[in-house]
Amino acid sequence: MKSKTENKSTTGPSNRVVWITLLIFLVIPHIISTPLATEIMIFGLFALGFNLLLGHTGILSFGHAAYFGLGCYSCGMAIRYFGASVWTALLASSAMGALLASIIGALAIKKRGVYFAMISMAVAQMFYFLALSPLKKWTGGEDGLKFIPKLSLKYPFYVDLQSPFPLYYFVYFIVGVSILLIWRILNSPFGRLLQAIRENEERTIASGYNVTMAKFVSLVFSGLFSALAGGLFCVYLGYGPLQTLFWLTSGTILLMTILGGMHTFIGPVVGVAVFLYLQNKFSWVMERWELVVGIMFVGLVLVFPAGIVGTIKSKYLGRQATAKQNAEADSAEEPV
Amino acid sequence: MSYLETKDLCKYFGGLRAVDQVNFTVEEGQLKSIIGPNGAGKTTLFNLVCGLYEPTSGKISFRGKDITAKKMNQTSQIGITKTFQITHIFPRLTVFENIRISAQSRKTSFNFWKKADLFGDINDKTMKILELVKLDESHDRIASTLSHGERKYLEIGIALATNPKLLLLDEPTAGMSPAETTMAMKLIRNLRDQLNLTILLVEHDMNVVMNISDEVLCLNEGRVLACGSPEEISCNETVQKVYLGGTKAC
Amino acid sequence: MELNFSLIMTQVLFGLALGAVYILMACGLTIIFGLLDVVNFAHGTFYMLGAFAAFVIISLFGNFWIGLVSAVFIVGLIGWATESFLIKPLYGKDPLYPLLLTFGFSVAVTDLMRGIFGTIGKIVELPKGFTGSLMMGGIFLPKYRVFIIFLTLAVLIFLWFFFKKTNLGMIIRAATRDSLMVRALGVNVSRIWTFGFALGVGLAGLAGAVNSTILPALPDMGVEMTIECFVVVVIGGLGSLGGAILGGLIIGQVISFVSLLASDYSNVAIFFTMLVILLVRTRGLFGEAGRL
Repeated sequence: MKSKTENKSTTGPSNRVVWITLLIFLVIPHIISTPLATEIMIFGLFALGFNLLLGHTGILSFGHAAYFGLGCYSCGMAIRYFGASVWTALLASSAMGALLASIIGALAIKKRGVYFAMISMAVAQMFYFLALSPLKKWTGGEDGLKFIPKLSLKYPFYVDLQSPFPLYYFVYFIVGVSILLIWRILNSPFGRLLQAIRENEERTIASGYNVTMAKFVSLVFSGLFSALAGGLFCVYLGYGPLQTLFWLTSGTILLMTILGGMHTFIGPVVGVAVFLYLQNKFSWVMERWELVVGIMFVGLVLVFPAGIVGTIKSKYLGRQATAKQNAEADSAEEPV
Repeated sequence: MSYLETKDLCKYFGGLRAVDQVNFTVEEGQLKSIIGPNGAGKTTLFNLVCGLYEPTSGKISFRGKDITAKKMNQTSQIGITKTFQITHIFPRLTVFENIRISAQSRKTSFNFWKKADLFGDINDKTMKILELVKLDESHDRIASTLSHGERKYLEIGIALATNPKLLLLDEPTAGMSPAETTMAMKLIRNLRDQLNLTILLVEHDMNVVMNISDEVLCLNEGRVLACGSPEEISCNETVQKVYLGGTKAC
Repeated sequence: MELNFSLIMTQVLFGLALGAVYILMACGLTIIFGLLDVVNFAHGTFYMLGAFAAFVIISLFGNFWIGLVSAVFIVGLIGWATESFLIKPLYGKDPLYPLLLTFGFSVAVTDLMRGIFGTIGKIVELPKGFTGSLMMGGIFLPKYRVFIIFLTLAVLIFLWFFFKKTNLGMIIRAATRDSLMVRALGVNVSRIWTFGFALGVGLAGLAGAVNSTILPALPDMGVEMTIECFVVVVIGGLGSLGGAILGGLIIGQVISFVSLLASDYSNVAIFFTMLVILLVRTRGLFGEAGRL
């Protein structure tokens, strides 16, 4: 009888995976181009935030561009119009993301899955149109939010965010801390509750949980991290593109998440890395890159829905389970 | 004051009167069975008591308090837990986690920081329940690999994990082999005796009903047909005509 | 600007014509959802394909009516193929998958059309006899808009007749409620589903073809239309054709009047409407089951 068992949740991240990932990202800008590595980190955070809702809670949002874009514009506006420091601006991004998620949650979290997906898509589109035209004066319309003053970090020490390496490690720091936070959340009682909701919502309610509140909180976390990623994107680019609010952004993050494996912790980051690497290599030569993306999407769903990490995990776990069964059959004792 | 009491309880689905003016009580520590033909409203009655359905009219009170408006997660928190006729387990999670997550519901779950596995008291409770339902050896298995009978036990275990005061068991022995059924009967009686649970049972297996019940309630077409001791019910002519079949001279 | 009676009535008419297109779209979406349990995230893409089909056929044959009818059949055929090869393999799996697939499909097809037709809008000429407008009681009634309204009415009547009176229609209604039962009766449900999907997207194609004289056909208008369609069904409910009609009517009027009074916000008006309705009636207009 054990009081601390080895019980692992099926999608809870394992310690090893998280540390290896952080280690890889520590050295990767020396292997691939630094801007690409920075983008992978930023969209990796976006994907992890997105997957908190999709893979771990089981709720599909088709409008996460709203959080990413809002975070991006918030950061840019805070710096440009309010003279905020980069730290404050990123805080503002996260707060705006959490706020928007709270509003959408209050209006739509109780609805059936398909309705939530549709509403989220509609809200994102609304923000896109708002930024495009009526609010053009503040957002820059089609051209995006430009003329953000030169970015640098003043506290706790000076970092020139205009150069690629310092910028990368600043992003690495923020994303790394976020990964650790999300990891903590998923391993906590709350994380297990989300898993239960995903696995059998009615049973979870029957066991006495306030599932609506849990979903709401999951959405707020998801919005927060996605918006933070958007803020980082603004810092990285030095401006805020309208594209961040576009439906294709919502679709792309979904694709990258599924590509990597939505029922795993680190899968989304892997999906981002693979996708952005391919995009970097091929979108220059191919005029019809979006067609390829669409076909990839369709192919994934038909043939490969577990994604890269998901498939690896099931094959690896499959082999492990067989080995364990064989071991159990051989020995009469219960494995410890 | 009865432990559980319904007053003129009704649930209509459009024209269908699933539960019609049902008045019944359950005393603390009782083991009461509900019998009746299919469509009599037994599961609907359960769903009303545990808050899954909203009554069309009527009242339900538990330990003196009106619980008519309470939803399912709320009734679970005050001590009424139901098992489902078709097992509602977490198929892709381990047996251990199935029970652990239910046990966790009694503690606040908006804890984002501490590792879920480190709550020793929850883990201990989980192991105790696993032993009670004879699934401790299987704690590591993925729930979908369990046999039908084992799943039924897991279902009961999940219900127990929520510290129920009143347990609603919806056909717990359905599909079980005779051996499993005997074990289940012993378990249910045990729950009442050792854990001081009040139990409401829906069953089709008359053997189980007659053997372990203190009282039996018979429903038909949403209405109460008769209520009494197992002997009284089995001798009741109307009950025999509608449900039990045959005649038994008493 | 003076809001006199005739101006208002004209706007109402425009709203009806706009609404008619949304009604066709929403009905198609509802049929597909009701029958297949699939939310067709590519619905607007079929609308776009209908517009382009009309454009191509009319350019080739010079006759508007041939173009209109062919567009419906062409889109229906594409729908047939899509359901048979792409959606059918996903039945029985996670209900998420058809959503993802249809979305990916729309991304791919949109870009394909960009490649074939470029990004300059293609507009179709109004058919002879439908140019210009009528004046009735001081109200300005563009003939083509009136045509759209009557065409949609005719389609709705046809649908009502089809579902209520014909054998196939009744089978489809039965399959919507209980496909297992229908299968037990010996009906090839799989083919019913394919037909239902083709019918649903056929309506979208019709909407696109009908609108091709008003809006230039652009590959990117597909996804935009899908999102607008979603707003219509969120407002009216995905479960019933009645909801699709009500939602379409509301949206049509909203767009019409906002375009007149505050044109800068005409794009976002429908989303505001959706949010307001969600706020006020948290169950949408036609209700969503809360506790049973």
